[in-house]
Amino acid sequence: MKNPSIIGASLPRLDARHKVTGQAVYTDDLKFSGMLYGAILRSPIPHGRIKRIDASAAKALPGVRDVIAGADTPRIKYGNWRLVPSSQDELPLALDKVRFVGDEVAAVAARDPYIARRALELIEVEYEPLPGLFTVEDATAEGAPLIHEESEGNVSLVRKIEYGDIETQFDKAYLVLENNFKVHAVNHAYLEPCSSIARPDEGGRVTLYTSTQVPYIVQCLLAHTLGIPENHVRVMKTQVGGGFGGKMELRPWEFCAAFMALRLGVPVKFTLTRDEELAVGRRRHGMSIYTKAGFSKEGKLLAKDFQVMLDGGAYNAMGPTATFLCGTFGNMLYNIPAYRYFGRHVYTNKPPASAMRGFGAPQAAYAAETQLNIAAEKLGIDPIDIRLINGMEQGDVIPEVATVSSCGFKESLQKVRKVSGWDEKRKNVKEGKGLGIGCFSFISGGVFNWFDTKYNFAAAEASVFEDGTAQLACMACDIGQGPDTVLRQILAAELGIGIDKIRLISMDTATTPKADLGTWGSRVTLMNGNAIIDAARKIKEMLIPVIFSELDLNQIHDIGFGDDRVFVKARPKKGMAFSECVYKALRGRRGEPLTARGFYTPRNKGLVSPAFSFGAQVAEVSVDQETGLVKVDRMYTAHDCGVAINKMSVEGQLEGAIQMGLGYTLCEQFVMDGGRTLNTNFLDYKMPTAEDMPPSEYVEVETYEPEGPFGAKEAGEGLAVPTAPAVAHAVYEATGYRCMDLPITPEKVLAALEKTE
Amino acid sequence: MAKQIIELTVNGDRYEVAVEPSRSLAEVLREDLGLTGTKIGCNQGDCGACTVLIDGRSVASCMTLAVEAQHREITTIEGLAASLQNLHPIQEAFVEHGAVQCGFCTSGMIMSAKNLLDKNPSPSEQEIRHALSGNLCRCTGYTKIVEAIDAAAGNLAAGPDKGEQP
Amino acid sequence: MTDLSLKVHQPTALDEVLDLLSQHRGDAKVLAGGTDILPKMRAGALKVGHLVSINRVAGLNRIEFREDEGLVIGGGVRITDVGEFPDVQKHYPGLAYACSVMATTQIRNMGTVAGNLANAAPSADTAPPLLIYKASLVIVKKGGRREVDIDNFFTGPGEVSIDPTEVIEAIRVPTPSPCSGSSYMRLSARSKVDIAAVGVAGLLSLDTSGRIECARLAQGAVAPIPQRCSEAEEMLAGQEPTEDLFGRAAAAGSAGCCPIDDVRASAAYRTAMVKVLTRRVLGECIERAKGGI
Repeated sequence: MKNPSIIGASLPRLDARHKVTGQAVYTDDLKFSGMLYGAILRSPIPHGRIKRIDASAAKALPGVRDVIAGADTPRIKYGNWRLVPSSQDELPLALDKVRFVGDEVAAVAARDPYIARRALELIEVEYEPLPGLFTVEDATAEGAPLIHEESEGNVSLVRKIEYGDIETQFDKAYLVLENNFKVHAVNHAYLEPCSSIARPDEGGRVTLYTSTQVPYIVQCLLAHTLGIPENHVRVMKTQVGGGFGGKMELRPWEFCAAFMALRLGVPVKFTLTRDEELAVGRRRHGMSIYTKAGFSKEGKLLAKDFQVMLDGGAYNAMGPTATFLCGTFGNMLYNIPAYRYFGRHVYTNKPPASAMRGFGAPQAAYAAETQLNIAAEKLGIDPIDIRLINGMEQGDVIPEVATVSSCGFKESLQKVRKVSGWDEKRKNVKEGKGLGIGCFSFISGGVFNWFDTKYNFAAAEASVFEDGTAQLACMACDIGQGPDTVLRQILAAELGIGIDKIRLISMDTATTPKADLGTWGSRVTLMNGNAIIDAARKIKEMLIPVIFSELDLNQIHDIGFGDDRVFVKARPKKGMAFSECVYKALRGRRGEPLTARGFYTPRNKGLVSPAFSFGAQVAEVSVDQETGLVKVDRMYTAHDCGVAINKMSVEGQLEGAIQMGLGYTLCEQFVMDGGRTLNTNFLDYKMPTAEDMPPSEYVEVETYEPEGPFGAKEAGEGLAVPTAPAVAHAVYEATGYRCMDLPITPEKVLAALEKTE
Repeated sequence: MAKQIIELTVNGDRYEVAVEPSRSLAEVLREDLGLTGTKIGCNQGDCGACTVLIDGRSVASCMTLAVEAQHREITTIEGLAASLQNLHPIQEAFVEHGAVQCGFCTSGMIMSAKNLLDKNPSPSEQEIRHALSGNLCRCTGYTKIVEAIDAAAGNLAAGPDKGEQP
Repeated sequence: MTDLSLKVHQPTALDEVLDLLSQHRGDAKVLAGGTDILPKMRAGALKVGHLVSINRVAGLNRIEFREDEGLVIGGGVRITDVGEFPDVQKHYPGLAYACSVMATTQIRNMGTVAGNLANAAPSADTAPPLLIYKASLVIVKKGGRREVDIDNFFTGPGEVSIDPTEVIEAIRVPTPSPCSGSSYMRLSARSKVDIAAVGVAGLLSLDTSGRIECARLAQGAVAPIPQRCSEAEEMLAGQEPTEDLFGRAAAAGSAGCCPIDDVRASAAYRTAMVKVLTRRVLGECIERAKGGI
């Protein structure tokens, strides 16, 4: 074929032109006739009962059209884990209790946003404060008041895993380590604040434009909380300005917009302020982790006991999944004969923690990788060597989870060792400088159907036309990570037509095929890619007969698709233009369009994921011993994402993940005062800027994942995992300070240095 | 709530709008003039998503009062490209180098880049990063943004032919 | 949210500015870049009915340097322009540095040095350099003009000796003596864009024998106001510049500060960092004094 394969190309994003000209439309950019503006009244206290709400003054304010509180709504609880209804603990507006500073209590719709916010000040709410619980220790203490009456001791759920004979293995171990770690909550800090517009349609139906990662989940849960049929809600695409897990649920303002739009018969828009996002937006779970590991003298991991308390905040949100996955992340990457996990998701009176890039893996890996580095030092084994001793390989089994069908972990270790100059640099230690390593393995989408959908997890509809073009309709959600391009690459490769010939209709729950579970857990490329391949196969089945009859072939040949042609593979000159083939097929079908739907749900793939990515990252740091400031000089990453469909996108994911990882490790944190967040602007919630980023080198490790489209598996979430342990290890090597509680602040470094003097 | 009639010159076009004095330029651009390419990421002057040029200088339009922007030349992202086919070299470079992911920071980044390259046609990597200190991005890690600006600097220096779309 | 009833006046002459400030006394604020005032108003931390913009007033935008007179920075001159002014870079490197690294590019383009001082945050980046350069502020009101040494300008956190009816017309900075070196350094957790958790500025003038003729040291963000450290200055005056001397002066500087715990850093860390930065600043001052700037 003349054209290079589109799989593996470094392709600029197809939506980039619209974004660089300011033409891409995000939810807040939209305006509709008669549209009202909404604002939310939030609880100023972390825990309390609502005694009285008086909205009369607010309602009387000129320009205010509606004010609602919990009592005005259908009062239906929701949560993403539909499979376990008892876990659905959230209400769109509080009914009798508020459980965190910022909990939604009432909403206003007014002629303009100024009036709406002014009206909030006029709503009177009387609270009876209750004691606030702000740590997992306080929340689980004997006699602590219950944040949710239904939970036991403020633990909303637990997960246990156990296999192998753990006690015997610990007895056999030459070295047993017991360590406690504490990791903190951080914010997704996507640049686009949440925004939603609801427009009422006829017949009690509503269309929602919203900044979300999960249009189908929003559709279902919005209908559920409104008390209307699922298909009365339509969620439609707008450009989404980042999500990272923070936009993967139904949110109160989506409900409020829809509820008021239906009540008032006009569109209603809510857009959050950055203050709100930082004060009450979702967060990564802070965790208290106890981990005990046993090693043989040669460095073999024999047993691991992993106990985690997740600081869930006031509601479950995606906490159950984080609790679930954390246990799995505790024993991925390395073969461990005996493993025990006990995870508890704890309620506290703080903004709910939920999904955030990595979904429990950054926290689990911080503990696991750091402990492994401690063991390596105690055993006198090089940290990379100890990982080579224990690391997984293709064909290994993650007990009760899956068989690892493609694995480039050891190759990643070897490549990162080489590219970082690991061996020479560790021999020539320089004052104040250090090298550290962290590794990861991550899922490519989840198998567990916690949303309890009756539909396939991913679906795609392909249509081809006589002008040689195609249309792809897919509910998959591009939040910036690039599926709008990657999925078209896959279809282009399958049909053998130019990518510029493919139009994309995306993210419309009414017209894009059901269903797509959303953008999280790194599922989109693998799952939607496979659905597209399925659809493309069916399209090809419609076209292949044309070749046989038109070319009068008297043998059965393999038919190829490429360069906008359909041809006999063995004799490529025998064929015809793709457009002509479609035309003839269309005629043959008496005008019935060539449209096919494809689906994908992982089958027989164990409990957790159809495929796993792997990687290793080395961080090089210099620590100013007088100020405690850590400067990351360079990062090296080797990463196995199977086959990279779009190389430029994969690089972009790595580079972005490093920014997030460095922020998590060094400078992002919430400063809390009794449940109230003090740093609610970007000045004081510090995420790395362009000046803070180190140069970074990247080495590709290519494997082929049989379950993945063209061999691809996840890229981008696993990469958010290794930075914290790598940098922490490097800081230890540079200073002797082993951080057991993130973030690594200059103050902590200095305090540790002073202690050792 | 006394509105003032003001005249704003945006991308060479003159607009007359009635605004309250307290309204920000970012809001007026977006809500009154329909120029939604300028984004509001924080409304506190910290994130740079709202960056526009006023008399060629990058400013945070969320922290600029619309009434104060009168009698000045305001340039927004919509004023850079001649057409979707004929982008400004900085925009073209952002596309080619993968500097755009979710796109929300992009308008502001490009305007800051324009300010930089107008002042300093061949900046070092450090100078580029320093110029972008007020533009936050959560998706890209800034790497390809810096590469794109560097490439654009080269294209602009090479002359109009190099800057045009192939 | 900002009150929609806000009035913004846009006079074109200084007299008009002063008239307006007088007329709306107590309910009016000067607006230059707006980068401090507007966020405060949006957050409800500042309620005022009138803003008097100085952005159209002729005569406030000049920045000039003359060897015999020193530097004059008009009340409306933007931070970027001060930082990029060649004579500032040459003669006042501490100020040039502060103006090139504080906040963000956009805020430097919008904000004024005068505004940075008038906002009176203990962490104002231009304050420590201007303190060591012996700046003075020319302040005008209806009916008069006065000059205030910057040493007497800051009176408390967020408080300066300016009446609500006054405007900073200019900042005057004398030319440092030829054998002097100056420096400003700042620190914070993210180390780049933030409001400084700690800032130290220093100026050392040497006599012909290489001894310190005169020393000035100032600190930011570690006391209720940006302040000088007289104890350390006295320790340095007349002495041979040695590392040991600098260490002792740094300790004195550290002892003389009284920072608070806040979201940006703890008091203990700030105190420790004053010592570190003071030593480093003094080291840079000596290098610059000896090598020429």
